[in-house]
Amino acid sequence: MIEVKNVTKKFGRKNVLKGVSFTAEKGEITCLIGINGVGKTTIMKAIMALTPIDGGEILIDGEKIRKESYEKITFIPDTITMPPSMKIKDAFLFMADFYGGWNQLRANELLQFFRLNENDRISELSKGNTAKVNLLLGLSLDVDYILMDEPFSGIDIFSREQIAEVFTSHLIEDRGVIITTHEINDIEHLIDKAVLIDNGVVLREFNTEEVREQEGKSVIDVMREVYKG
Amino acid sequence: MEAKFNNRDPVYVQVIQHFKEQIAKGYFEPGQEIPSRRELANKLKINPNTAQRAYKEMEEQGLIFTEGNLPSRITKDDKLLKRVREELILEAVDTFVHSVRSINVPLSEVLGLVKDQYEKEMKE
Repeated sequence: MIEVKNVTKKFGRKNVLKGVSFTAEKGEITCLIGINGVGKTTIMKAIMALTPIDGGEILIDGEKIRKESYEKITFIPDTITMPPSMKIKDAFLFMADFYGGWNQLRANELLQFFRLNENDRISELSKGNTAKVNLLLGLSLDVDYILMDEPFSGIDIFSREQIAEVFTSHLIEDRGVIITTHEINDIEHLIDKAVLIDNGVVLREFNTEEVREQEGKSVIDVMREVYKG
Repeated sequence: MEAKFNNRDPVYVQVIQHFKEQIAKGYFEPGQEIPSRRELANKLKINPNTAQRAYKEMEEQGLIFTEGNLPSRITKDDKLLKRVREELILEAVDTFVHSVRSINVPLSEVLGLVKDQYEKEMKE
């Protein structure tokens, strides 16, 4: 389980996170929802210790993040971080060099799943295919937790569907996933938990099936209530 | 197996309903093997935990059964399967009766229309 407890963060005098708390279970898909600029990416970076926090604490399976944790948790940013001159297969080699948990078999499987060619150069890929390679590199690590920043943003509907399909497949297996998004439509049925964020605070954290069962509301219904009510 | 789910009812309930419809239609036969929870999640594009929940519920209701490590199967209990079909028919009739009553249509008029419409659709 990933526990985010009362985390605060300032950029200069601006309070970006004002006491954010939520949990994300292993084997579940947790979705951080909020419009741009509410602190979603900052939360992800804080979990990964890529940005220092000013208060609160973050635990991964009960422990604070340390060097070894990066074999257990990975972050897929919203843009690819590989040098664009690399071919897809060079990126594989790069990942294998840096991560003990690199799983080439899964990478090959994902390559087929996304119908990508390992000899293609990253700089020559379409936006949708670049997003898929980016995702592939993260998903091919044998980690317990995967954080994905806006995996659906700015790509065509068919690529979106294909990526959504990954979530229902064995490629995610029993891992814990946190994704951020500002458009929930495509993935309402895919997520276990929604965490609604606005202005550096968590407005509501809920299990999507529970809300449907107990209140007869869709995720969007709850969002409307919380953000406009 | 294709299904369209709404966003307001629990997905697992909709999955069970979908299975019941397939049973009533005769698409699933008694004792027939059903997809694994992962296959189902993939086919219906739903969360694997939801698929798991639907199977657990159906198992409790006796609609499906699992022996050891074998794939789950549709029950062989004919009475139960018959009841599923009856339940679905009753539900549909209920909804229908409710909506025609709300506009005060006499039964005799409705029955004639139902028969005509049903036959028309059969031909299409």
